[in-house]
Amino acid sequence: MTNKLKAFVPLVLVVLISACTANGDNPGLEYAPQMYHSVPYEPLTQITDKESGEWLSNREDGLGEFYNSNPNNPYSQNVRVPVAGTVKRTGNGMLPYRLKKEDLLAAADVVNPLPDTPEIKTEGKRLYNLYCDHCHGTNGKGSVDPSAKVGEVFAGVPSYSSAAKKNLSQGHVFYVMTHGYGRMGSHASQLSAEKRWKIARYVRELQQQ
Amino acid sequence: MVAKTTIVRFATACMLVCCFLFSGAQLHAQRDAISTDEAVIKEGKALFEDWTCNTCHAVGRKLVGPDLAGVYDRRELDWIKSFVKNAGKMIADGDPQAVALYEEYNQIMSPWALDDNQIMAILAYVRNVEENPVVEAKPTDGGGAVSPGAGGSGVPESYLNTIVVALVVVLILILIVLALIISVLRKYVQDKGELSDDDEAIVNEKFSISAFLKSPTVIGIITFLVIVLAAKNVIDGLYTVGVQQGYAPKQPINFSHKIHAGDYEIDCQYCHTGVEIGKSANIPSVNICMNCHSSIKTDSPEIQKLYAAQESGKPIEWVRVHNLPDLAYFNHSQHVKVGQIECQTCHGEIQEMAVVEQHAPLTMGWCIDCHRNTDVNTKGNGYYDKLVELHNSSSKSAMKVADIGGLECAKCHY
Repeated sequence: MTNKLKAFVPLVLVVLISACTANGDNPGLEYAPQMYHSVPYEPLTQITDKESGEWLSNREDGLGEFYNSNPNNPYSQNVRVPVAGTVKRTGNGMLPYRLKKEDLLAAADVVNPLPDTPEIKTEGKRLYNLYCDHCHGTNGKGSVDPSAKVGEVFAGVPSYSSAAKKNLSQGHVFYVMTHGYGRMGSHASQLSAEKRWKIARYVRELQQQ
Repeated sequence: MVAKTTIVRFATACMLVCCFLFSGAQLHAQRDAISTDEAVIKEGKALFEDWTCNTCHAVGRKLVGPDLAGVYDRRELDWIKSFVKNAGKMIADGDPQAVALYEEYNQIMSPWALDDNQIMAILAYVRNVEENPVVEAKPTDGGGAVSPGAGGSGVPESYLNTIVVALVVVLILILIVLALIISVLRKYVQDKGELSDDDEAIVNEKFSISAFLKSPTVIGIITFLVIVLAAKNVIDGLYTVGVQQGYAPKQPINFSHKIHAGDYEIDCQYCHTGVEIGKSANIPSVNICMNCHSSIKTDSPEIQKLYAAQESGKPIEWVRVHNLPDLAYFNHSQHVKVGQIECQTCHGEIQEMAVVEQHAPLTMGWCIDCHRNTDVNTKGNGYYDKLVELHNSSSKSAMKVADIGGLECAKCHY
């Protein structure tokens, strides 16, 4: 009898080991969990369960080994929003943009601080094609541009070269990217001021086509 | 007394009805006052787009501003003209209709420098669209796209299938013919009756399955196969310990990369903004979703979750798919910005994934393998000039990542 049971040992082993493989919601078995999980606060990981990994914990605070969240932050997040008025250290000499949502008229007079060089326009074009083209189209024709897949569904994205838009200043374009305008939302969280000015240089070209 | 009141009431009602009819007639007259001339409609269409009316208005559906269909039935033409020219002033002056619109839409339309004729031309275009709606061709899913498999290499799939079926039929025919030949020969030999006993046994031999299975050769082969397969499974299984390849967790919102990155061709960087500037690619915050979903698919229950998150300020807790062990350092900007590696190289065909799963094993062997085989993209990057010179003086092959420290332990483990 035991001999017959022994025959199943490899089978059981196969089944057990296949459970270590990751699929669906199962991340699979970890080989050395204490080397896998970050001890410092990890910005894009958050484990709020205080008992997570308690079985192998040797932490001094008695919490689970995998617990990784900051109870002092809102929603125990590991990241914080910078204090209001923070000036970016890596801004490449770019001064903070202080104009508010209601300052559209003043914003239109702001001059693009970046020089009008082919390199900046090329970079502006590259960024435009990453951040703008799905709504405004590769040619900046708005919703009717065949490359504006999202713009078509979003409906009513104006063409840069339309009578109403073609003479708008780069300061205006920068303002729109920063604060949003009409139905367009602010893109300041996605693009640094420098990148926005680069895009404004390229949009100027699309306005004049 | 009573009769008098009734008469007064009846008269009032008649007057009201008359007023209503008259006003209706007048409003209908308004509609008729709008040109149906082709040239005017064409001009109106150009104005509607040039002055970006289409950004906020559509005919037959509400966008940011009211639906324009039948606007000439609802309002006086003079009212429309002055509203287009300076809506803010009308609201400030307390025009009841303008104020009601402001309260409903919470927006003030910008003043437009259009003259009366231009406004009438735009109305002509609106009337034309309303009365002659364009019958939209039903969108077919990927109708224009060439179906995969058909394109590219020579033989289409249907031909291949036909060929396989034909081959199988030929093989079956050959089997039947062979069986027929055997039976004919056997009959011929038996009829002759000149066989020895041994030959007789061979000719009349019956195939026995149980004897076949019990033969040591077969048992040996089967045992060997079982052991080999089990061993392979065990070894493969052991190699997946600590490797999360294939992990595809359920997310709090049924977000599909296939729709966003595939169908709508939104670039990865639009949402994963950190990929060129930092270690992490970043998971987009709700404000980025809201750039489009402020007006796309607003009724979907999944999108409602975005609105709830935006209202409460509570971040959406997406489940992290790629958990690189803490013992290894990886930086996205180094690979994407400097190395110009496509996202798909490591993340697989993300634009085809409805649910994202970890495509690459993210093991050290996998990293090293790529570092050994990838040429460094030195073009237009002055930083590499001297390194390339030095490398070329001692080697004939192109400079790989491994040649500039891509295999150093401390590059990733420290």
